[in-house]
Amino acid sequence: MTFAFFNATFFDQAVLGITPILLAAMAGTLSERVGLFNIALEGEMLVGAFAAIAGSHFGGTLQTGILAAIAAGALFSGLLAVGSALLRGNDIVIGISLNLLAAGLTSFLLRALFGVSGTFSDSAMQGLPRLTLPGIASLPLLGPALGHQNALVYLSWMLVVVIAVFLNRTPWGLRLRGIGEQPGAAVALGADATRYRFIVTLIGGALCGLAGLQLSLGSLTLFSENMTAGRGWIAVAAVMLGRARPLYVTGACVLFGLSDALGLRLQGEGLPNQITDSAPYVVTLAALVIVGLRRRRLNAATA
Amino acid sequence: MAYLEMIDIVKRYPGVLANDHVDLAVERGEIHAVMGENGAGKSTLMSILYGLQSPDEGYIRFKGTTLLLQSPLDAIAQGIGMVHQAFNLFESLSVWENIVYRREPRRGIFVDGARARREVEELARRHGLPIDPQARVASLPVGVRQRLEILKALYRDAQVLILDEPTAVLTPAEVTTLFTVMKSLAAAGCTILLVTHKLNEVMAVSDRITVLRNGRVAERLVTAATNPAQIVRAMTGQQITLPSAKRPREPGAVLLEAHALVVEQQGRRVVDGVSLQIRGGEIVGIAGVAGNGQSELIEALMGLTAVAQGFVRVAGRDLTRGSVTERRAGGLSYIAEDRARTASAATASAIDNLAMGFHRAPPLARRGLLRPAAMRDWARGLIDRFDIKIASPETAVSTLSGGNLQKIVTARELAHNSPVLIAEQPTRGVDVGAIAFIHGELLKERERGHGILLVSAELSEILELADRILVMYEGRIVAEFARAAADERTLGLYMAGGSRA
Amino acid sequence: MTVTAIRTHLTRRLGPLLPILGAVAVGFGVCGLIALWVGLRPSLMFTELIKGAVEGPQFFETVARAVPLAGMTLAAAIPLRAGIVNLGADGQLALGGCAAAVVALYLPAPDLVRLGAALVAGMTIGALYAAVAAAGEIFAGVPLLLSTWLLTYPAKGLCGYLVRTPLRDPTTAWPSTARIAVGARLGALIPGTPINQGFLIVVLVAVAVIFIDRRSSIGFELRLRGLNERFARYGGVALDRQTLGVMLASGAIAGLIGAIMVLGSQFRYTDGALTAPQYSWSGTLAALLAGGEPLGSVIAALLFAALQTGGFAMERSVEIPRVLTMVLQSVIILFLAMRGAIWRRS
Repeated sequence: MTFAFFNATFFDQAVLGITPILLAAMAGTLSERVGLFNIALEGEMLVGAFAAIAGSHFGGTLQTGILAAIAAGALFSGLLAVGSALLRGNDIVIGISLNLLAAGLTSFLLRALFGVSGTFSDSAMQGLPRLTLPGIASLPLLGPALGHQNALVYLSWMLVVVIAVFLNRTPWGLRLRGIGEQPGAAVALGADATRYRFIVTLIGGALCGLAGLQLSLGSLTLFSENMTAGRGWIAVAAVMLGRARPLYVTGACVLFGLSDALGLRLQGEGLPNQITDSAPYVVTLAALVIVGLRRRRLNAATA
Repeated sequence: MAYLEMIDIVKRYPGVLANDHVDLAVERGEIHAVMGENGAGKSTLMSILYGLQSPDEGYIRFKGTTLLLQSPLDAIAQGIGMVHQAFNLFESLSVWENIVYRREPRRGIFVDGARARREVEELARRHGLPIDPQARVASLPVGVRQRLEILKALYRDAQVLILDEPTAVLTPAEVTTLFTVMKSLAAAGCTILLVTHKLNEVMAVSDRITVLRNGRVAERLVTAATNPAQIVRAMTGQQITLPSAKRPREPGAVLLEAHALVVEQQGRRVVDGVSLQIRGGEIVGIAGVAGNGQSELIEALMGLTAVAQGFVRVAGRDLTRGSVTERRAGGLSYIAEDRARTASAATASAIDNLAMGFHRAPPLARRGLLRPAAMRDWARGLIDRFDIKIASPETAVSTLSGGNLQKIVTARELAHNSPVLIAEQPTRGVDVGAIAFIHGELLKERERGHGILLVSAELSEILELADRILVMYEGRIVAEFARAAADERTLGLYMAGGSRA
Repeated sequence: MTVTAIRTHLTRRLGPLLPILGAVAVGFGVCGLIALWVGLRPSLMFTELIKGAVEGPQFFETVARAVPLAGMTLAAAIPLRAGIVNLGADGQLALGGCAAAVVALYLPAPDLVRLGAALVAGMTIGALYAAVAAAGEIFAGVPLLLSTWLLTYPAKGLCGYLVRTPLRDPTTAWPSTARIAVGARLGALIPGTPINQGFLIVVLVAVAVIFIDRRSSIGFELRLRGLNERFARYGGVALDRQTLGVMLASGAIAGLIGAIMVLGSQFRYTDGALTAPQYSWSGTLAALLAGGEPLGSVIAALLFAALQTGGFAMERSVEIPRVLTMVLQSVIILFLAMRGAIWRRS
């Protein structure tokens, strides 16, 4: 291992890798705080990724791609909103079937609309442009990673702060927290639990749509089948690790992003990619185990 | 025309007429007691007044105007507040967040926390209900939580306050404080409706009484002009019967023993060095206000909660680290307090619920295989013996009333015929006839030489059944009395943490 | 038995089927609309789909597909009955198949012994790997839903690495092991069809699971835990032991199916070949459809097998992408989940 192991590219990769997960994890955080268990993040992200490419291709501009991603994510999550928030159906059943629906639907539409299977790429398509933050971009090592990213990356960081402030300092955030914790009490005091759950789910869908946008238009411009590759599930794990507190969840996302980048780096050093691909999942599992053991030790009660 | 009137209220449920043309009239600044046994219709009536349900016939008139309440929000908007028996609080949020929820003072788009805390403090002081606005609800004892619920209603300008069985969770001393608060609220113009079945409290604090029986108004009384016997007659339609006299017994061997038991939760010792013994043929009662460690003690004895220190012996065997399975096998049965969430499976049939715990051995199973016919007979037998009102043994127990579900739980646990039975609130929500039946069954267990650990919030139940009475306060056993030496006043003193011997 | 008694009996048995039929109808409706939207003909699509599932030799294809699908459904249904979701079936499947291939290829023993040992190895490895996730839940409280899914990646990665390096058969284009000798394979059950002896094994497993679920004390405890876990614990059911037990059983069946696929139809372990048909996801869906009830799950599995076989044929004959059948499956489940909620509300 050379000293340049953790070089600028490494951190750049990490930041790029974190962003979709972070956006999805924020969607998951809001859902969790309002009392819903949203495991459809994966499917929503995939739908958003496809819609971004489709919207950009058929609409002609990057803007149509962005709008398509947001709209598709929100619409798709509408199914979850109706099934889970409105009808109080089983979160897990609906979530899993939505993920599979998304996979089938996007693969089908890939063939039907673009006439290809596997991957669609268009080098002429415009991806998300990178911005440069003057002072930060010139920092050593972390400079490019932090100072030279596309707008969505910076948006995701701001989103963490906005959500944290929203939850803890605004009236609607307070009501949301109440609904999630004790819906009976909240409803008794006049909070419209169903409306909050519905809206949170749709916003979450839009956020996941943006996450998908980052995947398909963020660096390269392509869509391949099942390109989310489980990132939505990692977001679910991040929400669990961070106990649905925005800052802790972000920490969990960073952990995943770093281990993902580490895996890629080790691959560059010659380790077989089947092993390095597993790195982030193993790290996430290890983190869950460690945190779980620590929580067990704190609470003596097993009930 | 009265200040608050409920006129000709009728409410029907499938199979039962909960309110049968009920009239209620309350004056301003009055403390009005609504009395009746479990199932008499008082909860239904109050839930109509609070907008939780709509009457099938009849209406409500408040300050001269007819009210159309479609939800509690309408009631709150009209100035009617309610404090339920089961509190509805956000555990992880602070006192002030709970109180101002959905009426938050704002500064721009943010919540004005400082102003909220000030307003809460002011409100609390004005009504004599001291509370720390910043405290987390999870850390508050039960009496303070009730204060919080009252403040929630007052913060929303309640002019009518409905209190549903408020003293169930209070020590006798806290009850006195509550009465003082109620009287001062009434003096300031607040009208209070006190829903209860406790005679002495009604005599102490109310101005007038409406007694319901079987959904109808049995009597309207003026407190100053009546007496407990008359009230009981109105509630039950009978004369008071004396509690059954128990034959004194010589207790047998020690069947269940706990020594220096410590249970910790979140850094606190909720059970702090408890030692006790249950012998065969005796009923040991634990008196204490809910929240002083009784539930945690029982869970530790049953193996549902881990023990930090001390040991638990069942029939001489050390089962401190043993599972629930092992303890049940060792001779423990347990009527759990939370019948809906813990002691039964709502969507399962009565057959399944009654078979739990018996499903591995004859007669319900043989060599690991179930015997459906035997299971059905077993269920039918228990249903008949305990007079459980259910459509058929295959029906799901979610269709049962609270009292009938309690009977299912009690029937099953008694059927184990275990040497030791732990009974936690065994007659909560059960009608008077069934209470007497269950008490009879418990006494029969005692006759058979089994030991019973009885935890109950009803001091009268403990005084009626127990041979020995322990008082629990803040996780410790602070007093022990033989039945003959116990009286309600002394017990109440210890329950409130009073004088140590 | 009187007429009324027969009628009540039938309504109770068939009643639950009606919403499923309704869901299937809605599923077909939605897929028809999607087909119209992209310019395909729904009527053509459905006739080809149904023909492709049951006409002539296609019927045997459906049955052959139903074997692994039903197996994976059972693997999902056992824990689901107790309220546990095992999303790691793919990993257990792959490891089981890989282990079976290794044993069948390299164990120094006569043919039939190798076959038997390979089947046992597949089951054992699958069970042990599932137990790892169970340990995570029991000792560290890591939800099985997450841990099982996370563990599929190292499992697939390990198999992928093994089949590329130590076990690689250099003569094949795609990373695979060597071919398994004819004597150590699961032979054809009905000559001329793709149905192999694995069919018998899965039938046996299905009968066993259904029997245990309905008639044994263990099944009683599983079912009641699924209905109310607190109640099961309070009533004396040993939950941790039960968690381990269902995960062992689930992993064993998944591993067994992997072994059957390797020994009965593919005759070698090829990277990704076991998980490509996505039997574990379809199996999970079928089990969810039936709420974990074994017989219902298997029936749902048969339905999905028919849909998938039909989908392949449909794609071959009229070039409509077969992934539409996945859409169909998902819509059916979604509809049922929502309908169930509506039912509960009324």
